[in-house]
Amino acid sequence: MSYTGCFHCNEAIPAGSDFSLSIEQQPRQFCCPGCLAVAETIIDQGLGDYYKFRTAPASKAQLVPDQLQLINYDSAEVLADLTQHKADQTQIELSIAGISCAACAWLIEKQLKKNPAIKSVSVNSSTARCVVSWDVKQLKLSDLLNSINQLGYQASPFMADQEEAVQQAELRRFLKRLAVSGFMSMQVMMLAFGLYFGDYTGIEPEFEGYLRWISLFLTTPVVFYSAKPFTLSAWRAIKGRELNMDVPVTLAVFYTFLASAYATVFDTGEVYFESVCMFVFLLQLGKFFEFRARTQARAATGNLLKIMPVSARLVQGDELVPTSARRLEAGQIILVQAGETIAADGVVLSGQSSVDESMLTGEYKAVNKASGDTVMAGSINHDGVLKVTVHQALAHSRLGQIIELQQQTLNQKPQIVEKTTKLARFFIQRLLIIAFATFLLWYFWLDQDRAFWVTLSVLVATCPCALTLATPTAITCALARLNRKGILIKNQQVLEILPQLNSIFLDKTGSLTQGRFSIQRTHLHDTAYSEDFLLALIARVEAYSEHPIAKAFSTYLTTTIKVEQVQVHVGSGLSAHWVQHDGTSADVKVGSAAFCGVQNESAAVCCCINNQLVFTVELSDALRPEVPALVKALKQRGLALSMLTGDSSAQVEAVQQQLEFDQVFKGCSPEQKVDHIRQAVAKGDKVLMLGDGINDSPCFHAAHVSVALDSGTDLSKNQADVVLLHNDLNLVQELIEGAVLAQRIVKQNLWWAVGYNLVIIPLAVMGFVSPYVAVIGMSFSSILVVSNSLRLLKA
Amino acid sequence: MSIIYVLIPIAILFVCIGLAIFFWAVRSRQFDDLNKEGMSILFEDEKKAVKPEVNPDKQPPQ
Repeated sequence: MSYTGCFHCNEAIPAGSDFSLSIEQQPRQFCCPGCLAVAETIIDQGLGDYYKFRTAPASKAQLVPDQLQLINYDSAEVLADLTQHKADQTQIELSIAGISCAACAWLIEKQLKKNPAIKSVSVNSSTARCVVSWDVKQLKLSDLLNSINQLGYQASPFMADQEEAVQQAELRRFLKRLAVSGFMSMQVMMLAFGLYFGDYTGIEPEFEGYLRWISLFLTTPVVFYSAKPFTLSAWRAIKGRELNMDVPVTLAVFYTFLASAYATVFDTGEVYFESVCMFVFLLQLGKFFEFRARTQARAATGNLLKIMPVSARLVQGDELVPTSARRLEAGQIILVQAGETIAADGVVLSGQSSVDESMLTGEYKAVNKASGDTVMAGSINHDGVLKVTVHQALAHSRLGQIIELQQQTLNQKPQIVEKTTKLARFFIQRLLIIAFATFLLWYFWLDQDRAFWVTLSVLVATCPCALTLATPTAITCALARLNRKGILIKNQQVLEILPQLNSIFLDKTGSLTQGRFSIQRTHLHDTAYSEDFLLALIARVEAYSEHPIAKAFSTYLTTTIKVEQVQVHVGSGLSAHWVQHDGTSADVKVGSAAFCGVQNESAAVCCCINNQLVFTVELSDALRPEVPALVKALKQRGLALSMLTGDSSAQVEAVQQQLEFDQVFKGCSPEQKVDHIRQAVAKGDKVLMLGDGINDSPCFHAAHVSVALDSGTDLSKNQADVVLLHNDLNLVQELIEGAVLAQRIVKQNLWWAVGYNLVIIPLAVMGFVSPYVAVIGMSFSSILVVSNSLRLLKA
Repeated sequence: MSIIYVLIPIAILFVCIGLAIFFWAVRSRQFDDLNKEGMSILFEDEKKAVKPEVNPDKQPPQ
């Protein structure tokens, strides 16, 4: 890897900063003190191999892990909720944010194994989960989590849900079935070559029979074990009086297998064991890739519990008792410190702070809370300390309700009958009728002895391989193509719907906009200081604040400026002493106009030095840079664009004026958002919803296709059909284009498969096609279809 | 050619052993993470910190 940016995270190094460390006698530059500290830890522990072998840069390290939150995990109640006990050991499953490649897994395992209290560690790099067993008496959970945090990852306790355990078991079954069909295909193919050569050069009937019997023996587990998912699915379909794609697959597998077995036992006709094995192996392989893509998408994003607050601090008299958030009851009083997640819905009893409710409302601006105000579970307390009277247990909180709403909408997803299923149904019915008619025709009127073999060649020649491979191969290749571009598709049905799309609903905050403050305009009031210096000074002071405004300045942070006695004034700003180079210090105030004592100033942040206004900064939640071009391109495709937002401020109009959507719905609650989408669906539109927050996720089930952004909440990513892995909205275009392309390839494949069948069926019925020729025709059309699909992988 | 009556069953036996080992490996969760194990060969098992003459560059900076 080459490093133009930070050696640790590869992000751009801000001008004027100097964080460097000599690694393997080479000076390396870092972007922030966080990355520097992490790299120092890694090198000091002798884990420098990580930098050599990793395949992706690490994620940017955060300087101050939430030490306060971690300590709460040590309470016995919380531990009991999160862990399992086995003899003297405790086992916990952790979800680790920031794992980017296999080297990360190695790094974490190495670091943890150094501690004698830890008995075993296993990190799964593809699901970003880690299972640790350790001795609680020797090592606290908070220290364990902290040692992972020191490496620049964020570990949090996690409980795998039922569904995930089922998927793990399914993965193992897949591997076993693949192994059986793969191993056996090799063996049977080898024997088949013996038989092919035997046909050319002559083979003694004794050996031919022997090779056939062995092939029969080896193919049996493939048919009865590896092909079981297809058989079961076909059986279910037939029981429900339906025909799906697995019916012809099963039919082909069993018919070919039984015919070959018949030929082997009675020493007559031809055998096709190698075709059976290869067919099962290839279909399994396609299904396996699809399954892996889906589990990965799910595991990487499915982390519901992370947003549910885990612990709380209960006020009992003068004492603070850490407890599990799930055990809170109405009427109890909890204390919430700065940076903590509020554990339950309630009313502020005392204290003052600003609270980030963006997870629930989609609104990124912090809301000021004083005594008497209601607060919601899942929101984050920024700067002050709050005492909160609990009103509702966690399960009944607003957060719990939104999750519930989501579960309800889950089963109401608009369904689209898959085209290929319809085609298969049509085709198989006709095929079975033709095959049956052929048998009767030959048996009663033409040649009784040939009836069985002619029927077989009809079935083999028309063997729906090409037809069954046409869609899955194209879809698998399209998924791989999109995945490479950073688009993760969790529900592959979307590829069929996307080409018919005619309406897109977009969330504003966090989706169209960046969802955070950024500096829009600055104004210098005193030319004695440079703008760069003042931005760095503000950044230095704001580094002490958890407020979202503070994050707008974090890119300007340097170490060269020294400040002392930084004080946070809740809801207004910060004050500090700036130590100048000559040793004298000056009073610095950063905050709202009122806090700095300035009149007639509309800017969000003012900066005063010795009570003299020197600098003002205007902030806004800017549109993502790619949005205007994207909106134009989507309109050119003839798509109706609507903006859905919980925001009701003037910014909605400003965005509307710039982008000119067809429809704008502002001030929507999650329920109203769902209603708007349902109306569009009821009108017959094919709807795509793009969003990022928890408040958008109920809509995801109402729309035909849902797209979440990587910067969005875990919950929304978990629920969406599609996740954009890079924060680039242009991927929406790529997604639609990829789907259109995939559909074109599917159509070509189907045309070929159907066309070929229309030619070969009459010939086969008339008895002109020997089973041998039928196999060649079948293989050729399958290869053609697969190679056509592979074209999708190019470019 | 009658040797194939012996050799093919032996080959099948090996296939069965191979499959049995694979099934065991899957069951003992060795295939749960298909990315990590491929990388693990690159990393040294135990870092010998007392061997500066072999790997002088891997020493932590002072």
